[in-house]
Amino acid sequence: MRKHLIAALGLATALTPASAMAQAPVTVGPNGEPATPVAALQLTDAEINQLKQGGFTAAFAWHELYDWSGAVAQGAKDEFARLGIEVVAETDAGFDAARQQADVETVMSRSPSILVSLPVDPAAGASTYAAALQGGAKIVFVDNAAAGFVHGQDYVTTVSADLVGIGEKTAEAMNQALAGAGKVGYIFHDADFHVTNLRDAAFKWHIENTYDGLDIVAEAGMADPARIEDIANAMLLQNPDINGLYVPWAEPATGVLSVLRQLGRDDVRIVTIDLNEPAGLDMVSGGSIAALIADEAYNIGVYAARAGAASLLGRDVDPFLVVDALIVGPANVAEGWQQSLGHAAPPSVLAAGN
Amino acid sequence: MNQSPTAPVLALGNIRKSFGGVVAIEDFSLTIAPGEIVALVGDNGAGKSTLIKIISGVYVPTSGSILIDGEPVAMSSATKARENGIEVVYQDLALAEQQSVYMNLFLGREMTKGPLGQLDRKSMIAETQRLVDELDVRIPSPHATIRDLSGGQRQGVAIARATHWAKKLILLDEPTAALGVAETAKVEAIIAALKARNIGVLIISHSLDQVFRLSDRICVLRRGKQIGIRTTAATDKNEIVSMITGLNAS
Amino acid sequence: MSPPSTTHPAESSPLARLSRINLQQYVVYVGFVAIFVFFAIVLRDSGFLTSRNLVNIALQTAPATIMAIGLVFALSAGDIDLSIGSTVAVSALCAAMAMAAMPEAGLLLGVAAGIGAGLAIGLVNGLLVAYLRLPSFLVTLATMGLFAGVARSLTQLRSIPVTDSMFTGLFGSGSLFGIPSLVIWTVVAVGIGHFVFRQTRFGAHVLATGDNPRAAMVTGIKVPRIRLTVFLISGAMAGLAGLLYSGRLQAAKYTLGETDLMTVIAAVIVGGTLLNGGKGSIIGALVGSLMMGLLNNGLILMGLSVSDQMIVRGLIILAAVAVSLRETTR
Repeated sequence: MRKHLIAALGLATALTPASAMAQAPVTVGPNGEPATPVAALQLTDAEINQLKQGGFTAAFAWHELYDWSGAVAQGAKDEFARLGIEVVAETDAGFDAARQQADVETVMSRSPSILVSLPVDPAAGASTYAAALQGGAKIVFVDNAAAGFVHGQDYVTTVSADLVGIGEKTAEAMNQALAGAGKVGYIFHDADFHVTNLRDAAFKWHIENTYDGLDIVAEAGMADPARIEDIANAMLLQNPDINGLYVPWAEPATGVLSVLRQLGRDDVRIVTIDLNEPAGLDMVSGGSIAALIADEAYNIGVYAARAGAASLLGRDVDPFLVVDALIVGPANVAEGWQQSLGHAAPPSVLAAGN
Repeated sequence: MNQSPTAPVLALGNIRKSFGGVVAIEDFSLTIAPGEIVALVGDNGAGKSTLIKIISGVYVPTSGSILIDGEPVAMSSATKARENGIEVVYQDLALAEQQSVYMNLFLGREMTKGPLGQLDRKSMIAETQRLVDELDVRIPSPHATIRDLSGGQRQGVAIARATHWAKKLILLDEPTAALGVAETAKVEAIIAALKARNIGVLIISHSLDQVFRLSDRICVLRRGKQIGIRTTAATDKNEIVSMITGLNAS
Repeated sequence: MSPPSTTHPAESSPLARLSRINLQQYVVYVGFVAIFVFFAIVLRDSGFLTSRNLVNIALQTAPATIMAIGLVFALSAGDIDLSIGSTVAVSALCAAMAMAAMPEAGLLLGVAAGIGAGLAIGLVNGLLVAYLRLPSFLVTLATMGLFAGVARSLTQLRSIPVTDSMFTGLFGSGSLFGIPSLVIWTVVAVGIGHFVFRQTRFGAHVLATGDNPRAAMVTGIKVPRIRLTVFLISGAMAGLAGLLYSGRLQAAKYTLGETDLMTVIAAVIVGGTLLNGGKGSIIGALVGSLMMGLLNNGLILMGLSVSDQMIVRGLIILAAVAVSLRETTR
C-alpha cells in the first residue's frame, strides 16, 4: 500500500486538512467535492443490455500494479466483463509519470471508449491525459484527478477509498478491542503523505471525541517504517499502562508484534490498516492484532468501470465516489478479505482461523 | 642538423640506470647506424627490458647521454621518443583487436581532412595497402579486423605500423616468440627488408639462430653490465653463449 | 591486393565469415523489420499502423534514444554508465526549478541548469573512473543511487510544473515545418553522435580505448581524458533526455528516467555495441531504441496483461541480445 500512498501525495493540497478541527473530519474530493457512496451508482438491466449491444471497449493505464491496485484492476475487469465491455489494453507505468503519458498515448491507438487510470502525478495530469481527452475516451480516475480537469466535461468521476472513513472505522475497532475503556498509544505517519495523514487524524479525532472511555496517553511519529521497533519499544517502556496501539499500516504493525513478544506484553491490542498476510495470521491465531481495517479496493475498480459505462449512456456521475471501509476481525477474515480485495484470503490465514 | 650519411641514428653514451640503490644498467654504450640491425641478447634479468624502456622514453636514465642523429635529446616520455622517430614493437603488439588493420596502423595518429577534422579513411587505407604491399605483409585487406588475423599477420601489422612511423629507429621486443616456424620466417623476411629503409633496428630475441640470421652486430648484456659488442659475421654462437652466461665455452 | 593467407582457421570458410558479419551487423535491423511486420499483420485493425501511433512511438522513444547515444560512447570506451536514469531526473528537476525560480530567464536558464546538471554528474563519474581508476560499474552503480536520492530530496518528492511555453515547445510538444521537435532532437543528436563516433579522431580513440587501453596509451592516446569525456557525453545526453521528458510532460519529477536504464542498455546492445568496449554503433542504438518502443507499443495494443507484456518483452530482448552478443563476441 505504500506506493499507493506516495501516488496520492499530489492531492495533499487539494483537500481540507483534517487535523485539529472541532468538527468530525469528512472525506472530500480532489476539488473539494463532497463524497458520494458508490452504492448510489447502479445500472438497470435495460442499461446493461444497451451496453452489451454497444460494442464498447475500455483500457487501463495503471500507475503501478501491486496487491492493492491489482485488486482495483480485477474489480474493474470483472465489472467490464459483466457489462460486455472489452478491455483492449492495460499498462503499468512503474510510477513514472513520463511513462504513464506514453502509455496513455499508446492505449489510445486502440480508441477505447473508456480509460480508467490512477494518475502517477496529478500535477502533470493535463499533459499525461491530453491524448485521451483528444481521443474522446471517457476518463475515470482512481484516487485522484488530473489537475485542471473539469468534472463532467473532461472526466467522468474520481473513485477513491474513504480515507476519513477508514480512520473512523479504525477508532471503532479500537473501542471494540478494548471493550470501551483503555489507554491508547498512537503512532502516526510523520510525513507529508495525504492518505496516511487523513486516516491518522480521523482515528485520533474519533478516539478523542467519540469514545469517552479511550484516552491517548502517548503519541509518536514514525518517519521511517524501518524504525518502528525502536519507537514502539520506547513508547511501551515509558507508558507501561498502554493496552491499545494504533499503527498507521500493517507492515510496521508486524514490527510492533515482535516488540510485544520481546516484552512479553500479550495484553496489548493492535489495530492497523490494510490486509497483509503476516498481520492476518497473527490476528486469526489469537495474537495481538485485534483488527485490520481495509478499504474495498475491489469495489473501487467495480465502480470505476460502472461509472465509465454510465457515462457512455449519457448519465451524469457524481464527481467523487467513495467505497466503504470495513473492519476485518478474526470472525470475518474470510469474508473481509474477499470483500476488500476480491479474492480469497491467503491459505495460511484461512487455515489458522479454522 | 649536422646530419651526415654515416652519423649513427642512435648513440647511447655511458648510460646508467639505478632504482634507488639497485643498479639495473651500468655504463652502457651503443651506436646504431642507418640500415643496421643490432641484436641485444642476454639472459632473463640482464637488463634488456630496462634498456628498451630507456630508449623508448619510459624510463629516464640516471646518467649518460642519448643522441639521435648526433643531436642530444632528453626523452622524458614515450610520446617524446615517438616524436624523435623511435617506434617500438611491443611483445604484446599493442593492437586494438576489434579495429581494422588500417585504423591500427594509424592508431593515435589518424589522418584527417576538412574543417571538421573528419577521418581520412581513404588515404589511410591507401597508405596501409601501399605499406603492406611494400613489406609483403600478407593480410586479406586493410579493412580486415585484427582479431581475424593470424599471429604472424598481427606481428606483420605491428611491424608495419612501427615502420610507417619510425624515422630513425625501430625497437623489436621478441618479435617471433609466439609464432610457428613458417610465420617466423615470414616475419624475419619483413625485418630483413627494413634494412633497405635506411633506419636502425634494435632487436631483442631469445633465439640465437634468429639473431645470427638477422643482425649485423650483437650486443651482449649480463646483470646490467655491457659484456661486449661483436660483428655478427666475425663471431660464432659459442662466443656469444659464453658472453651471455659468463662461462667459457669449451 | 595480397592474396589472403590460408594459415588461420578463422578465414578458412568464407561462407561462415559472411554469415557472421551479416548477422552481427544487421540483427537489429532484421529484428526491427520482423517485429514491425508481425505487429502490422496481427494488429492491422487495432490502430498500430495509424500514423498517429507510429509518430507516438517516435516521440516516446526520443529520450531513450538520446540516452542510448551517450551509452554507446561509454560502452565503446570500455565503461558503463548506470547513472543515466538518475541523471535524467536530476537534470529535469534542476531545469524546472531554475525556471520556476527565475521565470524571466526562462528557456536559457532551464537548458543551462539541465545540461549543466548532466555534465556535473558526468564529471563526477568520469573523474572517479578515469583518474581514481575505480571500476565504472561500481562507481556508476553508487552514483545511480546517490543521484536518485538527490532527485528525491531536491523537491521532497514533489513534482515541479514546467510552464515556460518556449521550453515546452522546444523540448516537448512543438514542431518545425510540421516535424515534431522531439523527432528533430533525435535526428540531430543521432546525426552529430554518429559523425563524432565514426568520423572523428575522438571517436576512433574512444574505440581504441575500449578495445585495448594499453595499445591506446602506447600510441599516444590520452586514455584518462577519453574516459572522462565519454562520461561527460553520457551525462550531457542524459541531461538532454531530462529536458525532453520535462518538456513533454510539462513537469519534472524524481521518477523521470527511473525505468529507462534497462531499456536503454538493451537498445544499445541489440544495436551492436559491445558490453566490453571497442565496438559500437549509434545508428544501431537508434534502431534498437525504436525496436524497444515498437515492442512496447505493439504488446500493449495486443491487449496483453501487464505481466504477459513483461514476459514476452523480456523473452524477445533476451533472444535479440543473445544473437547479437553471440555474433559479436564469439
